[in-house]
Amino acid sequence: MNSIKVRISRFDPKVDSTPHYQTYEVPFEPRMTVMDILDYIYENIDPTIAYHSHTSCHRRVCARCNVGINNKPGLSCHTEVTGDVTIDPLPRFKVIRDLVVEGL
Amino acid sequence: MSEVNSADVLVIGSGGAGLRAAIEACDQGARTILISNGATGKSGATMLAGADVTLDGGSAAKIGLPGNEEDSKEKFLHDIIVQGYYLNNQKLVESYVRDAAARTKELIDWGVKYVWDGKRALLTQGVELNRVLVEQTRKRRITITDDIYMTDLLTQGNTVVGAAGIDINHGEIRVFEAKAVVIATGGWQRAYSFTSAPGGMTGAMHGAALRAGASLVNMEMVTFCPNVILWPPALRGDIFPYILIEMFGDLLEKHGRPFLKDEYDPSIYRIATTTEWNKLIFSVAGTRVVLRGDGSPRGGTYYSIKTVPLNILEEAEKLYPGWRWLRTDFSPIMDWLKAGNAVEVAPAAHYMEGGILVDENAVTTLKGLYAAGECSGGLFGANRVASAITQILVQGAIAGKSAAEFSKVRKTVEPDTKQLDKIQARLLSPFTKENGLRPVEVKKRVKKIADEHLWVLRNGKGLKTAISELEAILFKDIPELSLKTAARAYNKEWLDVIEIESIVQVLLASARSALYRTESRGVHNRTDYPLTNNNTWLREIVTRNVKGKLTLTTRPVTITKLKPPKGKFSFEEGIIRAVKELGE
Repeated sequence: MNSIKVRISRFDPKVDSTPHYQTYEVPFEPRMTVMDILDYIYENIDPTIAYHSHTSCHRRVCARCNVGINNKPGLSCHTEVTGDVTIDPLPRFKVIRDLVVEGL
Repeated sequence: MSEVNSADVLVIGSGGAGLRAAIEACDQGARTILISNGATGKSGATMLAGADVTLDGGSAAKIGLPGNEEDSKEKFLHDIIVQGYYLNNQKLVESYVRDAAARTKELIDWGVKYVWDGKRALLTQGVELNRVLVEQTRKRRITITDDIYMTDLLTQGNTVVGAAGIDINHGEIRVFEAKAVVIATGGWQRAYSFTSAPGGMTGAMHGAALRAGASLVNMEMVTFCPNVILWPPALRGDIFPYILIEMFGDLLEKHGRPFLKDEYDPSIYRIATTTEWNKLIFSVAGTRVVLRGDGSPRGGTYYSIKTVPLNILEEAEKLYPGWRWLRTDFSPIMDWLKAGNAVEVAPAAHYMEGGILVDENAVTTLKGLYAAGECSGGLFGANRVASAITQILVQGAIAGKSAAEFSKVRKTVEPDTKQLDKIQARLLSPFTKENGLRPVEVKKRVKKIADEHLWVLRNGKGLKTAISELEAILFKDIPELSLKTAARAYNKEWLDVIEIESIVQVLLASARSALYRTESRGVHNRTDYPLTNNNTWLREIVTRNVKGKLTLTTRPVTITKLKPPKGKFSFEEGIIRAVKELGE
């Protein structure tokens, strides 16, 4: 597997009426995490995506990088990816933008 | 710009130092606002601390711990200064050993979970400390404001009258007026691409303090924590191998040879695995291996437990049942290692000995501005050995008290609108540029400079390169940064621009100081000046912004108790000599 398809929920409440998915193709590396994927997209494909990382610990402690990964909540810093993946904001939280939610 | 909030004491930073400062300021009767750049209790370096609280055994016995009455504050002070290579501001060390017991006792009274190590350390955990300190903060009338990235100090002449920054989630500029401001924002580890510190440790307030006219000290001093996991990615940043190596396992170069055992005097290996000199020795030895081309694919070395018999592992697991310690789970690391793999490890930017220049009352060189914890400089000289948790508690309480007292004799000053307009224009300028430089590209370049030239081993040529590259970024590239989206809410590129601005200023202060110090001392190791020179370099380097120019001066080390020896020593000689002096 050389690359994977990553579907990310995009939503800016100031502009959009409903969230929509945007799909990115990301080179796959063994043992890569959801955070690695998000960083890759931000750095190389689309710097407009919003996901929590400005104070994240990357050590399974702060839990602020919690997102929905293929419909299951998980820490993006610690969840490894094995194939195509869909990333949503954590359900039942108010979305600030894309994957960033209030109150986490 | 939104409404202006007003406080007697504004505390910036929500780790242990900020929380303890806010508690103290409030208890002294000050209307206190605490600002976090993340979520209070879930951000900052304290959350990831191991963590221990250190105090001398004699003082421990006095507060009811099974301490050691033969130990004393004087002995503890002596050990901190010898291992700090005599660069410590001894007045700050005196406060540290004086107040350590009171701060420890209060933590115990507040219900912190701990294990006493029988000597000088109360073993607990960063998340547990935060739990207790946040609980105490919430019991008081302290306003907590989360996800505000503070970027600037507001001044009137030589006095700080408030601070400003951005609301990360909503994108507004926020202004706080205050009679006194405490900076407690930790270090600037995120200047490096590999660090054990969480996001947000970007030196934003170091940069703000510099721009406002405050002085920084010892900025060349950066501790690296060795043996931090570099790969696999899910375990990246974990420092557990650094703890494990004290018990067992091997550090290997690319041919599988245990380099520290093979290449160093046996006494150095023993010191590295049994004393607080471990950070320094492993970092230097590992970096030497990488520089000569014998490192791992991702620029580190290997840590392996392949030679450790299973029953030895089982015994060790009794210390960490299920390979867990309080709320931390090390089992994924152990599973990987037990399966026969090595982890790639490297030194990670870990702790900053230097920072905002303060005296023993946490007073900076600007009126109304105080600093506490890792963002301040001088306490640990050229090498930290005692606990930074004790530092944040002791200095946090001192800063909170000093700031509250100052606020009582001050009136609130309305922020100068011209100054605010200037700050606003600077912060918003990346939104007005089109097709400029991409923040992430510039950020990567900045980190590469730090990684290459301000790492464990430095040299004059590299530092000069770093300075000219950083100056080019500061003057040419930063004004050209632009953003791909105009969305103000959680705009990652905008945050990157703000980070780059402060990181470049702080790195320049660090690189200039490192070039100026023509010797090696503690964590500052120069391959072109390998000796520690006590004849000429028992001086602190102070950096300050004078009319937009970074200016360096030196001042003699503050000595009140312990007189440094004269002479020059190599890296190994210095360590062996100091260990003898410690009587170990």
